[in-house]
Amino acid sequence: MSVRQAPTYQQGAPQRSMDDDSDVEEEALANDYREQVGYENNGDDYGIEGGAMGANMQDLQAQLQAAATPLEYQATLETKIQSYDSYCNLFHYILNSEGPVDIEVPSYFWAWDVIDEFIYQFNSFCSYRQKLALTQSTSGNEGDLVVLRENPNTWGCYSVLNVLYSLIQRSQISEQLAARKRGEDPAPYAGDYGSRSLYQMLGYFSIIGLLRVHCLLGDFSLALKTLDDIELNKKAMFARVMAANFTTYYYVGFSYMMMHRYADALRAFNHILIYVSRTKNFQKNAQYDSITKKNDQMYALVAICVAFHPTRLDDTIHTALREKYGEQLTRMQRGGPEALPIFEELFRTACPKFISPTPPDFDNPSVNVDPIEHQLSIFMEEVKNNMWAPTVRSYLKLYTTMDLTKLAGFLEVDADTLRGWLLVNKQRSRQMRHSEGGLLEGDVVNSNDLDYAMQGDLIHVSEAKVGRRLVDWYLRNLARTY
Amino acid sequence: MGIAFDYCPDRPENIDAILNGLDRYNPETTTVFQEYVAQQCENQTFDSYANLALLKLYQFNPHLSRDETTTNILVKALTVFPSPDFSLCLALLPPHVLAQSKNQQNGPPASGSIVEAVQHLSILHTQLNNAQYTEFWNTLDGDDLYADLVADVQGFEEILRIRIAVVVSQCMQEISREVLEGWLNVTDAKFDHFVKEVCGWNIDGAVVKVPLNKENEARGTVVRENVKFEQFGRMVKRAYEQPA
Repeated sequence: MSVRQAPTYQQGAPQRSMDDDSDVEEEALANDYREQVGYENNGDDYGIEGGAMGANMQDLQAQLQAAATPLEYQATLETKIQSYDSYCNLFHYILNSEGPVDIEVPSYFWAWDVIDEFIYQFNSFCSYRQKLALTQSTSGNEGDLVVLRENPNTWGCYSVLNVLYSLIQRSQISEQLAARKRGEDPAPYAGDYGSRSLYQMLGYFSIIGLLRVHCLLGDFSLALKTLDDIELNKKAMFARVMAANFTTYYYVGFSYMMMHRYADALRAFNHILIYVSRTKNFQKNAQYDSITKKNDQMYALVAICVAFHPTRLDDTIHTALREKYGEQLTRMQRGGPEALPIFEELFRTACPKFISPTPPDFDNPSVNVDPIEHQLSIFMEEVKNNMWAPTVRSYLKLYTTMDLTKLAGFLEVDADTLRGWLLVNKQRSRQMRHSEGGLLEGDVVNSNDLDYAMQGDLIHVSEAKVGRRLVDWYLRNLARTY
Repeated sequence: MGIAFDYCPDRPENIDAILNGLDRYNPETTTVFQEYVAQQCENQTFDSYANLALLKLYQFNPHLSRDETTTNILVKALTVFPSPDFSLCLALLPPHVLAQSKNQQNGPPASGSIVEAVQHLSILHTQLNNAQYTEFWNTLDGDDLYADLVADVQGFEEILRIRIAVVVSQCMQEISREVLEGWLNVTDAKFDHFVKEVCGWNIDGAVVKVPLNKENEARGTVVRENVKFEQFGRMVKRAYEQPA
């Protein structure tokens, strides 16, 4: 370890000054959480050498706890690197001992906390490194730069993926889940490792972890594919851990959004937001607090998706959305170039902190573009493509037949442009929507209540009306008669 | 109708095995995927999920990436507009490529670079997605670079013509011949042949008639409630438990 103790970067200044402020809240909540749960973390528990592992049960317990505990906000780069080493040791011990290890975990949610914290630290380390590489001349963190240059493999993407995949394979969790899906007993597929709850849980949450990592790397289709074996419903194992439940739906919804499947994205967000709003009274604890930020992010994403894909929301969601992002939503729904900055702002607040899988190029600062900007610009192309849809729709709603040139006159564009808008809007209204099977499956359906066809320059408009909903009313009143 | 994104009917077994295993991260499989891309370009097939896996390998191992294959994948992704494939491919490219292609301050990107290719293909993508088909053909014919970029993809123009025709068939019952000629970039006898033989539409003077299909009918519908027996479960249960 002594190699890493380069003296230059001990300047007393906050080491993470380059890191974005949004973390402050999250970190504060995390600290809160730590106090409530009563973890003791002095930051000194790290760095236990691999050889000493298992020799002392006390040490092991401390390590298990440390692994599930967030680093302090002020943690130095050195601490972060040490933390990586201790994760490596711990996972090495769990995966590569002779036969499955028997350890008592500190809490029921330990497996989730470990995977969650592991990926969180990976994520923030990569973001920090990327930012430092981009702004190196002005950052005043030369010490950190030297260390990062010398340790290109610390928190490497391959090793993080390797841990997650190894945990999945060791526990044979995919086989077990597949068996459960077929309605069989998963036990015969579990093997030596997978039959123990420690491995089972680690494997299971590693799948969720993979979903997250793939999404952070911008591979949205693979992210959704990862969940093939997991059934998204209230009975799923992740649903028992609130934070896991929340994380899963956030990343599923986000991936759908990036695949332009807004109806599916909305379904995912809706599901979890309703769940949160119904259970918040029972969840007045740290676990709930730590998700309020993500909660707001998801409402921002709901606003974006609704702007793309007008739809009726659940009443609770609708009210909360109006409260949080009412003005933005109205402006996005109006469309046009004025809406673009709103989309951009909401995307920035709500997107995950994307990362690059490879270490940045320290010698060419300017090529280390923030991956968030990269994903944002791709997303904004899509927004621009949809920009005129609300305008076109608002006019067409008023007519059953309309002459193209006349409408073009109203909109003050030429006929060719309008023809283009109409084609775009029509294509956009046809969307993949999931009905059953893997998350990547789906049918192309008309997602819009407004439809039209052109006969030369004559536009025929038709509307899909929703019939009266009688069943709810009937059931409600019937219940009253008892 | 329901086709999963990761499904491809023409995918060879060995590719399928790599995609479903950990070998998809193995840098040695890069060559296998590269050959597969070349094969797709030749056979006019398209396997988005496998191509994304290759781009991911490039993302992880930048030293292995081959610009030519990357552009071929992007060109292939154009042929399936308006699906999100092109965007999904861009998402896996190194961030600086896209950033530089958008940033015009430093003058045009170096000739022959990946930045230049991405910049040019993005223009095509935007035009296709915004249904500016006439402009699309003009752009394509206006710069020799495009001819190089799409050279490897067999039948690029023909495939795009068909894609555009599909869009038209979803929206139009009738369309003037002049407009459609511009959108498809063919005229005269060739146009007649394409519209009649390939699409199966009729030409009536200056108007092309597209037969009615599910999409271009524009008939109003009433969405009815879908009532399931389970919704009444609680009621039936109570009626059973509390006999009058």
